[in-house]
Amino acid sequence: MGKVPSVLEKIRILGENSKYDICASTASSRTDKYPKLFGDSKEWIGATASAGICHSYTPDGRCMSLFKTLYTNKCIYNCKYCFSHSAKRKMSFTPEEYARTFMKLYSMNVVEGVFISSGVCGSADKTTEEMLEAIRLLRLKYKFRGYVHFKCLPGVSQYLLKEAISLSDRISINSEASTKDHLAEIAEQKDFNNDIITRQRWLKQIRVKHNDEALKIMRDFKQENQLKFQERMIKDRREDGYKKFRWDGAPILNSGQTTQFVVGAAENETDFDLLKRIDWGYKGIDLRRAYFSSFIPIEGTPLAGKQAAPLTREHRLYQSDWLLRIYHYKLKDLKEILTEEGNLPKGDPKMHLARKYFKDHGLVDPNQASYQDLIRVPGIGPISAKRIINLRTRKFVFKRRKDLKSVGVVLKRADPYLLINRGNQTTLN
Amino acid sequence: MKKIKEVQDPLEVVGCAKGHSHEELIHNLPRHCKFSPILIKHIKKVPEVILRNSGTPFARKVNRMMREVSTEAYRARQFTRTEINNRGVLFGVVLLKHRVIDLVLKYFHERWPQCIICLYNEHTQKTTKIDEKGKIEELDFPLKKVVDDVSKNRTIIPYFDDIQFSGEIIFETLYKSQFVSERENKSYFKRMVPDKCFELPGMRGGVEKRFRNKHINDFL
Repeated sequence: MGKVPSVLEKIRILGENSKYDICASTASSRTDKYPKLFGDSKEWIGATASAGICHSYTPDGRCMSLFKTLYTNKCIYNCKYCFSHSAKRKMSFTPEEYARTFMKLYSMNVVEGVFISSGVCGSADKTTEEMLEAIRLLRLKYKFRGYVHFKCLPGVSQYLLKEAISLSDRISINSEASTKDHLAEIAEQKDFNNDIITRQRWLKQIRVKHNDEALKIMRDFKQENQLKFQERMIKDRREDGYKKFRWDGAPILNSGQTTQFVVGAAENETDFDLLKRIDWGYKGIDLRRAYFSSFIPIEGTPLAGKQAAPLTREHRLYQSDWLLRIYHYKLKDLKEILTEEGNLPKGDPKMHLARKYFKDHGLVDPNQASYQDLIRVPGIGPISAKRIINLRTRKFVFKRRKDLKSVGVVLKRADPYLLINRGNQTTLN
Repeated sequence: MKKIKEVQDPLEVVGCAKGHSHEELIHNLPRHCKFSPILIKHIKKVPEVILRNSGTPFARKVNRMMREVSTEAYRARQFTRTEINNRGVLFGVVLLKHRVIDLVLKYFHERWPQCIICLYNEHTQKTTKIDEKGKIEELDFPLKKVVDDVSKNRTIIPYFDDIQFSGEIIFETLYKSQFVSERENKSYFKRMVPDKCFELPGMRGGVEKRFRNKHINDFL
């Protein structure tokens, strides 16, 4: 029988095995302004912040604000890109040591919350049960009410998802690839439709059902002003499937569900495939956001000889995702700028879109252009576009470039597309 | 609708583009270490739009002061490293030039409502504590004395007794485990943790400073 690994050893190995999982933000709308998930009792420890707080950064510049480790690195799957092929030592936390270690780190103010993920040991349900036991312990024994990000395992049962939702701020299921075929190429044992898509749909259903019930309860409490706000938010969200505000009135799972893709692991997967999938996610399953992780070959895996995906590809995907999620561009718009292979071109996608669009439609006069036209101009975002519209409704006329600058327009990018006072700035300042 | 004059600045119309309102300035500027009451008199005379736009040297100065105050409070929340004893006293050291210690204390109080929180400010060389009810008190004693005095009156709490073990090595191990060498980006790291942050008490001997910096012993 092998030596039992120490907690430090477990953190070292299980932490390293989880380093490719991405969790950028620790922000949760579960703050003082809204009904608290765990009530107001002073026995609870921890808090969530609406904008997130980063306590540390790794040398790659990424924020390290969560206790991010796997629960176990034992796994029945043989995903070709995954470390599990090369992991020589297999180990698991116990729920008690997981919760206790986290609370120690939290008391040192070095972490903001928990990110719990795992390999699939035995079955998805069995491993999820154990992960949930750790979170239950954290919530109920250690009375931790801070941020928890729970990574669901593919193929997990619905009753476990329900419990995970009730205990977490954010839930994610890794899609890994954009389509069934691409997933089969890199992780042949996973069933894309059944193990992933169905679970993502369940997450949405459970959340929406709970939200409706929570609204009814709050109506009884006669929190009239707050209620109106929440109802409006939820209605807005359902109409077109896109998230319009950070806070959507959900008393549970306040940070929504997310997903992650491995970019460049599947042979013929294009950027368009990925964008199509996330567009479906925003419309179909209330996806809060998507993460992209460039494929990095790991020694000892079947894909060890494959070339790493360029980090710029990941960056372009994030830029395009932003256009879909925040600017509400249509997927067909993005399709127009793709290369023949279906990938994004070099350079900022918004700049490419603007060149194409304004070549046909002419320059933009901020005194006349619609909101949709304004946000197409590089250097004008949704906030500055709203300010421009707001000013126009109050009969303000933009006559100088300075006027635009003062509402937040980045002129060095916007100038080539703007027509101010019947003139276009064509020379460099 | 009242027609807006063409010469009027857009910000005056929107009212919330950037910068701070008069009220925010009057409320927060006294936190700055170089604050003088004359500033407030000046601020009241200058239109809000000029202050928001940083259009004059005075406006730029005021906005810079506000930024310094808010940055210091945020950095203290991020990088203060604390310890907790088995009697539920949470303590740590901060370096705050401006008067923002109440904001930092409240941040910890929200997270640890059952605890008494003591923070020693290296700049003023005073210890400030906040009790379970949220009452803030400044004491002219070193941190250790304050923690000992406060702890005397409290019993051992099993919850906090349970987490009495060294966490520094645990954090160091976790930190090292998260680094993806293929993605190393020093300039990005420097942007997120500027050099001056390493002067903060919690970061001086911090893992971030030590990691990937060779010590002489590594070569011997």
